[in-house]
Amino acid sequence: MVAARQRRRWGVPVLLAAYVGYLGLGAAVLQALERPAEVQAAQHLLREHWELLTNHTCLQGPALQRLIEGIIQAYKSGITLQGNTTSLGRWDYSGSFFFSISAITTIGYGNLSPSTAVGRIFCIVFALFGIPLNLVLLNEIGQLMLLGVQHCAHRLEEVFHWQNKASFLMKTCALVTGLLLFLLLPPLLFSDKEGWSYEEGFYYSFITLSTIGFGDYVIGMNPDRTYPSWYKNVISLWILFGMAWLALIIKFCINILESSSDFCQCHKQNTEMAEDFMDGNKNSMTGLQNAEISSNKDTKMKEPVESHSYTAPTEAL
Amino acid sequence: MHLAALCPCQCRILAETRAGRALPGWDRLPRRVRDLHWPPLAVVPSGVTLRAMCSGKLQTALLVAGYFVYLLVGAAVFQALERTAEKQEKMAAAQMKEAFLQNFTQLTVAEMEQFMKNLIEAIQNGVYPVGNESQFEESNWDFSNSFFFAGTVVSTIGYGTLHPKTVGGQIFCVFFALFGIPLNIVFLHRVGKMLSLLCKKLGKFLYEKGMRKKKIKFLTLLFFLATGILVFLCLPSVFFQITEGWSYSEGIYFAFITLSTIGFGDYVVGKQSDRKYFSYYRVLVAIWIIFGLAWIALLFNLLTTVLEDTEKIIVKDLQQIGKVSKDSVGSQQRRCWPVQFIPEEELLPPRAGGDAQKMESLTADSEHTKNEKKVFSNSNTIALTC
Repeated sequence: MVAARQRRRWGVPVLLAAYVGYLGLGAAVLQALERPAEVQAAQHLLREHWELLTNHTCLQGPALQRLIEGIIQAYKSGITLQGNTTSLGRWDYSGSFFFSISAITTIGYGNLSPSTAVGRIFCIVFALFGIPLNLVLLNEIGQLMLLGVQHCAHRLEEVFHWQNKASFLMKTCALVTGLLLFLLLPPLLFSDKEGWSYEEGFYYSFITLSTIGFGDYVIGMNPDRTYPSWYKNVISLWILFGMAWLALIIKFCINILESSSDFCQCHKQNTEMAEDFMDGNKNSMTGLQNAEISSNKDTKMKEPVESHSYTAPTEAL
Repeated sequence: MHLAALCPCQCRILAETRAGRALPGWDRLPRRVRDLHWPPLAVVPSGVTLRAMCSGKLQTALLVAGYFVYLLVGAAVFQALERTAEKQEKMAAAQMKEAFLQNFTQLTVAEMEQFMKNLIEAIQNGVYPVGNESQFEESNWDFSNSFFFAGTVVSTIGYGTLHPKTVGGQIFCVFFALFGIPLNIVFLHRVGKMLSLLCKKLGKFLYEKGMRKKKIKFLTLLFFLATGILVFLCLPSVFFQITEGWSYSEGIYFAFITLSTIGFGDYVVGKQSDRKYFSYYRVLVAIWIIFGLAWIALLFNLLTTVLEDTEKIIVKDLQQIGKVSKDSVGSQQRRCWPVQFIPEEELLPPRAGGDAQKMESLTADSEHTKNEKKVFSNSNTIALTC
């Protein structure tokens, strides 16, 4: 038992080192890619247009500062001051609905966010119960998808007697279909309706479906374009199913990672209850609690009840 | 030959036995499980039906309906709360514009629009033209900012105050996230284990003191919630009050939005240009974020379990109210797919199974396959996937 605990303790520093190393690598690459463009943008936009404008209109310093700060403030709270147009869906019902989706899926674009104190408190409570609800739903959808793939694979086996090959073929097919449907085809729709380039659409799709949600690109926010009435609803459905699909993909990546780390540290024997509790935790982060976990829970039910006495609170229920 | 049994509650139960008509392992299940799933309605031959599972359609439909109702209600409330405030802000902004134009009459409306357009373009590119020129030397993409940005990508918080604008940066960001998010989840998994070890130690300690199990469960749960809220939500808000100048409720709002990985980006640490931050400020915040993320994941897991149990109870009640005909095989056939039903009398006698290897895992998960194979090594065991 002590040996197992010692082996377990090995895992965290190595993982921490890998994590920090990965972040550092990403930071360096992004810095190298973005810094030159940023410098260029600053020089071009500000030095030329700004100075030109101030010279031209003979504006006074402090008043101009205040105006600029006012405009920045308004921009941050999402108000466009240009002309008389109002962008599609601020806090009307459609915009609020989209905001609710972005809150409970944890995408959190941020182009729209509550500014009243009561709104913020309600947002916290709303998200506190909405996020588990969303996780449960994504879990269901993911399981249905997996079931469908299994079912098709089995049908193939029946018809063609291919044994293992059918399952592998089915899985690759499912992967490719998912890729097409959720990541590769929607950018075409976006380039038509939003005017983004294909790469921007792909970037937006991935950032949305992985729930990162920067908010630099958001659909339906361009005041110069008209959107068909079905647009936002179709996108909401796409987000839902796409998130479930991407969560499945990420879950498989996690399984690969975990099994490789287990291989490195001989953790194969560590299936004590102490560690299996946190499988539920891991899956809640990906939004998926697959049949594996529930079967673990249920097989544990056959064991004596006393062993549940020191469970972590997450298993206590 | 393997046989599968389906329970009338239409949940995903798959009972396997090699013994034939009877399901000998059934009475070894705990009573709670048996009450939920007994008696099995039909026993069917193996092969295809091994993987046939009832899809729990009522459960799914209820869940989808509940989800959309929740969204609709939330949207209505947000609209009611925010609409008036937004209108007021819009009027204030328009007034500011008007006042400025009145004071500087040499500026035409068109020029003003152009000016604002340029300004907004600059802001969208992350350049804030406030203050004097020396601030242009500080970059948004120095290493410390990029590191923080990489952290927000990998944890899926995604504030958005900083985001890649070049095509190369965007594509790199996608692939960076694709491998970084699983890494992050595995990492947080381990951190969560560490956190729950504390709770287990407390539970053990109380158990040795002789407390009853239910009381221990309740106390450890309370301890988990209370210390978590204190350490991860309340204390940091006080800290942010000092360092960022936010109010206490703004601090709590920021803490929750960050730790739940929603990450709107309306509040971000370390981004106010007029404040001085001590040198290890963001490192401290990063450590807080990591532990807080693990804790909140545990909390959400808890709430998810509560939700699923509530859902099961609701479904069970609904079915008890609206049961059509328990014994009708035909109605069963409509609800379950793709199962073939054979009445019990027509069952073939059991054969010694070489078919054990034919069983594949239900979710194609290697771990699950291991567990299943362990479970099915005994001839009369039952696997439940409810």
